[in-house]
Amino acid sequence: MAETETAVPVLDVRGEICPYPMLRTNKELDEVHPGISALDVLTDHPPALSTIPPEAMKRGYGCEIDEVRDGEWMIRLFKDA
Amino acid sequence: MTAQPVASTRRFSLPESVHIAVLLVPIAIYLLALGGGVSLATFFAVGSAVGFTLQRARLCFVSGFRDLFMLHQGRTLRGLIVGLAVGTIGFAMVMGTIIPDAFAGRTPEDAHILPVGLATVAGGLLFGVGMVLAGGCVSGSLYRMGEGYVASWVSMAGVMIGLYALNQTWNFWWDLTISTAPRVWFPTTIGYTGSIVLTFALLAAAYVATLWWERKQAFVANVPIRRAQPAPPASVADDVRLALRGVFRREWSPLTGGVVLSMLNILLFIKYRPLGVVGEISRWANDLGASAGIPMAIQKGLDGLAGCAAAVTEGGSWFTDGFMLNIGIIVGAFVAAVLAREFRLRIPRQPQRYFQSLGGGVIMGYGAGLGLGCTLGAFYSAIPSLALNGWVYALAMAGGALIGTRIIRRLA
Repeated sequence: MAETETAVPVLDVRGEICPYPMLRTNKELDEVHPGISALDVLTDHPPALSTIPPEAMKRGYGCEIDEVRDGEWMIRLFKDA
Repeated sequence: MTAQPVASTRRFSLPESVHIAVLLVPIAIYLLALGGGVSLATFFAVGSAVGFTLQRARLCFVSGFRDLFMLHQGRTLRGLIVGLAVGTIGFAMVMGTIIPDAFAGRTPEDAHILPVGLATVAGGLLFGVGMVLAGGCVSGSLYRMGEGYVASWVSMAGVMIGLYALNQTWNFWWDLTISTAPRVWFPTTIGYTGSIVLTFALLAAAYVATLWWERKQAFVANVPIRRAQPAPPASVADDVRLALRGVFRREWSPLTGGVVLSMLNILLFIKYRPLGVVGEISRWANDLGASAGIPMAIQKGLDGLAGCAAAVTEGGSWFTDGFMLNIGIIVGAFVAAVLAREFRLRIPRQPQRYFQSLGGGVIMGYGAGLGLGCTLGAFYSAIPSLALNGWVYALAMAGGALIGTRIIRRLA
């Protein structure tokens, strides 16, 4: 696992089914915290791993995915400083 | 909804020893089913394999269409298109065995050659809207039920309500359009070879169209998942472990999933009939309605309809071939999810999600009843049946999915 940066907000979308994990992530990036420098998205919905990253990258974010435990992933979105 | 700290609750993970023991579930059901007859056991086995395949490849018909419109991603849909091509060849061989002379005017009765008309279009449109709202089609909801998605159980309840409503209004639709709608089977006019060529040309066109659409807003990102890496294989045992990992732990591509699904479809058709799940769910809805004191009136014309027209409970037994197939899909997906360590109870925390799942399910159920099938029966089994209805349904469903994505953007 990558070293966790301090105080990166976590959006917990566990329990959500497609396309809501992606839509909620987009809303977080566009409306709730526009221009936020980093966001971690926690999901247990495997298809979200291929829908969230491209949408975030369109918005200029870099992306890494960590498998935090069986069946749970943390999608780390960040803007280069 | 703002970002919140991770809650440590609602985590549900099984201990190691249970992973393999989960295989006892399908084995026990299979043996019990054998007692009731070979066909029950076979339908259960094929259903389990279908559920396993759908889970492993995360083969979601909804994402095939929705991701194309929403994200300009066509990878899933292309997997399905290649699967349809494989299915077309297999189905043509099976049908060619049943009806050697395609020009003689007879059609293979178990193939999904259905009346094509207003009901096909309306059914496909409703189905497309509903499946996007619900976040899963009918077969998709079945396999996600096995993966532990509570939302999919809610969707399935909605599907049954929708099917019940359609069955109550079935005779209206039958008199209005279905009874007079033609059944168009390509081989009757252009033979098997011509039909295969036509189907392949249409599939190729659809394949290219997804590439073109993707290019219009090219953005394909493939982010590797970081996880604890095992040591490189150093023995035969390691190689075997790696191979097993490829089947049971790592995600299959949509292409693999689409092709395997079609192979299973062909095998089931060789022995019994093509895949379809809706007719059986329709029977559940009717039987449950009858138990609640509202028996279904006689539905006209069901005898002459193949595919996913409402099944009728025969001999009072709930345990039919279709029942075993559907239960098999749930069990197969459950087994696949547990072995992949992906099983968990997923409980939506936003209340409106339950309404969307239920509402989407109702719309989808009504559409599936009207269009005589879901993504499996009216699409994945219909296009290889070399029948026009499969294409009409697919186009209507795509249109419905487009409308659904518009709606969902507002709801999010």
